[in-house]
Amino acid sequence: MNRGRLARYSLWQFRDFVMDRGIGIVIIGFLWGYVMFEPIRRAMGGQWIGDQTSPVWGLVLQVASAVASLSVLIAMNGLISIDRKNGYYRFLFSKPVNPVAYYAQLFVVYGVGVLAAMVVLASLARIIFPIFSIVNFLIYSAVIYVAMGGIGFFLSVATRYDWLTLAAVWLGSRVLRGVYGPKGDWRSKVVELLPPVHKLDQVANSLIATGRADAGDVVWLIGYGALFFALGLFILRRGSLADQ
Amino acid sequence: MDRLPAAGDDNRATTAFVIEFKNVGKTYKSLLGNSVKAVEEFSLVVGEGEILGIAGPNGAGKTTLIAMMLGYLRPTTGTVEIGGLPARHYVERSGIGYLSELIAINPKWRAQTALVRYATLAGISDAEIPRRVDYVVDLLGLTEHRDKKVKALSKGNLQRLGLAQALLRDEQILVLDEPTHGLDPVWTQRFRDIVDELRRPQRTMVIASHNLDELQRLADRVAIIDRGRLQRLVSTGYEHAAPAATRFRVTLASGYDLIRAAFPQAEDVGRGEYDVTVHSIQELNAALADLIAKGALVASVVPERSVLEQQFREAVGESQ
Repeated sequence: MNRGRLARYSLWQFRDFVMDRGIGIVIIGFLWGYVMFEPIRRAMGGQWIGDQTSPVWGLVLQVASAVASLSVLIAMNGLISIDRKNGYYRFLFSKPVNPVAYYAQLFVVYGVGVLAAMVVLASLARIIFPIFSIVNFLIYSAVIYVAMGGIGFFLSVATRYDWLTLAAVWLGSRVLRGVYGPKGDWRSKVVELLPPVHKLDQVANSLIATGRADAGDVVWLIGYGALFFALGLFILRRGSLADQ
Repeated sequence: MDRLPAAGDDNRATTAFVIEFKNVGKTYKSLLGNSVKAVEEFSLVVGEGEILGIAGPNGAGKTTLIAMMLGYLRPTTGTVEIGGLPARHYVERSGIGYLSELIAINPKWRAQTALVRYATLAGISDAEIPRRVDYVVDLLGLTEHRDKKVKALSKGNLQRLGLAQALLRDEQILVLDEPTHGLDPVWTQRFRDIVDELRRPQRTMVIASHNLDELQRLADRVAIIDRGRLQRLVSTGYEHAAPAATRFRVTLASGYDLIRAAFPQAEDVGRGEYDVTVHSIQELNAALADLIAKGALVASVVPERSVLEQQFREAVGESQ
């Protein structure tokens, strides 16, 4: 018996993240922030205030939240489905490696990669908003990585078109909760089963701004993602790797 | 070829490495409810040290069988075991040297990097990886291509890279699916030499190929499958040749007029070549001895079809 050195392979996985996704996330995040705030800052000139009393602070929170969501979407894109679709799994898993452990590790490594990219972007954000907390933003990014990434992981196990499905599930949940959530009938109960995207705005604003949020909301978000992550691992174990 | 020291050689000796298919079936179902039986009631044991060939027409179920052997697909019925373990458990515990029919390696990786990555996953230590990578690169003639990206490799070089990753460790089980696909004649021959060198009493090899000549040369037995079923299991040695009428092409360098004395039914096909039909190897040898004794000079005797080819045609049908 001679097991594969999966932990050592995490360095390759991290390298893949940086080259294939991390650099892209940083560029997109930077451009998004730059295009959004630099013209405002220039226009405001000496009136620009980089603190929470700034009229653009609300916009900062929204953009930060959206960048974190987009980063998770990019990180999750094809996490497992690409290996299956392109047949890369054949050589990877003829080695003494457990696919469940391999992809669980990949999820964790990519999570670390997303947080590293968020550190870079948060550091850039602090240049124009000195009160922007890197730690708070990282906590929020970690929450959304588990919440959204867990569902993305499951979808990448279950379908080829994972990023598209994840985006549809995320947006669909937001729309359906908005439409049927307040009705108080059976439909509002059904939409309760959908991903808890309605809690995100509140959690984002609260966590990024103050580092605190309603514990119940955070647990609900993380628990939902963790459940789907575990479900993805289960299907990976019980299903077939070959995509025939 | 130097033997590559095996990772974990010491604790393998006591394990019987046998692949066993027990009444295996695989049915694919579409979303519309249509089902296709890719493999049906397939039972076979591959012994330790054996080289088993798998032959069959396109769509016969060869690749499905191999996918089940590696645990990439779950059988719908029956079980596949290796060394007494469910196939996937065995692979996750010990690994298998596997060359797939389609060489799927991330095209952005460099050949050398790909081998280092696979070596890491194979459990080879950092200290050993350079030596082993150098070994397979040299063995497969990839030295000048090691720094190229996978997407820049030709079909033949990609095939060799696929074989190289399968040979990184001295695995007890090798599964090679269409191993010479895309190789030029020089490397096809080289591959056969490598397989001969890889033959060990404790190593089991499974080679799936369309090339019956190749299986005739390399395999001890060949499983002929068609429509997902094991049609025939053929031993490739001529000592097992069927007693049925067999045609050979005899080429003479001199003594053309003596041919009919030894082979009355010989058909002249020109340039000193004759097609003869015999009913056994003994009859062929007796007639040739008679021909040579009479003074003819025999340049070559080639069977029109190998034992395997004959069996394949009978099992699968002439139309294939």
